[in-house]
Amino acid sequence: MATNAEPAPSPTWWQRVLIGRNPKRTLVRIVVLVAVSLVLFKFVLQPIRVQGGSMLPTCREGGIHFVNRLAYLFHEPRRGDVVAIRLLAGEHVMYMKRIVGLPGETVAFRQGRLYINGQPLNEPYVKLPGNWEHEPEQVGPDQYYVVGDNREMPWHDHTKGRPTRDLIVGKILL
Amino acid sequence: MKNWLFRVILVAALVALGIWGWRVFFPNPEKIIRKRLGELAKAASFSPNEGDVAKFWNVSLLADFFTPDVQVKLEVPGSWHTISGRDELLRAAVGVRSAVSSLTIEFPDIKVTVAPDRTSAVVNLTAKGKVPGERDFYLQELRMRLTKVKRDWLIHQVETVKTLS
Repeated sequence: MATNAEPAPSPTWWQRVLIGRNPKRTLVRIVVLVAVSLVLFKFVLQPIRVQGGSMLPTCREGGIHFVNRLAYLFHEPRRGDVVAIRLLAGEHVMYMKRIVGLPGETVAFRQGRLYINGQPLNEPYVKLPGNWEHEPEQVGPDQYYVVGDNREMPWHDHTKGRPTRDLIVGKILL
Repeated sequence: MKNWLFRVILVAALVALGIWGWRVFFPNPEKIIRKRLGELAKAASFSPNEGDVAKFWNVSLLADFFTPDVQVKLEVPGSWHTISGRDELLRAAVGVRSAVSSLTIEFPDIKVTVAPDRTSAVVNLTAKGKVPGERDFYLQELRMRLTKVKRDWLIHQVETVKTLS
């Protein structure tokens, strides 16, 4: 015996906006979107929030940036790159600094100017210059010399140094 | 069929009970240390409306986390400062509470390495201190050495370590 089934009522405009014409397909899309976002923001582009002013004016306090964790998959970090450096205990707090010295080089500051292997380095990104004085420091074979862009800060208040390559998490997208 | 299902549920419940019991009677040292450090961060933090009695009481609670002969080596710009013994450490804690109106301590990252004999451990951690009203927070990397005394994990050495100077 055949019966005439009543046609399903067409979804209202707000149902279409919220869950689409096909709820199953919408659900699959949401699951895929969530999975892709989780992988993307955990392993590829990690979001970070800036706290502190050592990278002024390049990175402002409270600003959100992304760390490209795959940036150094095919090449080593380069001079001028702004990088995220993890601490020994983990990655919940990281330093954001600029690479100025490469492995094997010597780094010095004279009257606020940066010298690499005795030669002055042009630093157009330094808008807040200072008068730092620091004797030449040798960068180790697996180390990079990193420093912030805000050189107006007193030398002792500004965190800088020579992290090893394995502590550099990725390149900051500015 | 019902009998079969009942047996499966019973076995699953027994396994779950066994795992729970194992964790209760033989807790993972790393978990205990992490919990203990969380309690330490809480004990080291203080609010502005802390009265004198509360101040001394709360500082005395810190004693439970350290061995009597604890050694603390802190690097402040340009020099090292050493605190020897639990009493001196508690006096320093009282001094901090007198100098700063309030302080919030957090350990966002804790990396625990337990020795094979499970009686000592090394902890690398990131300590974050925030004084209300100040724009920046204080960040310090620390390395702690802990010893198991009876059933408690006590800190017997603390020193600052630096990824960057």
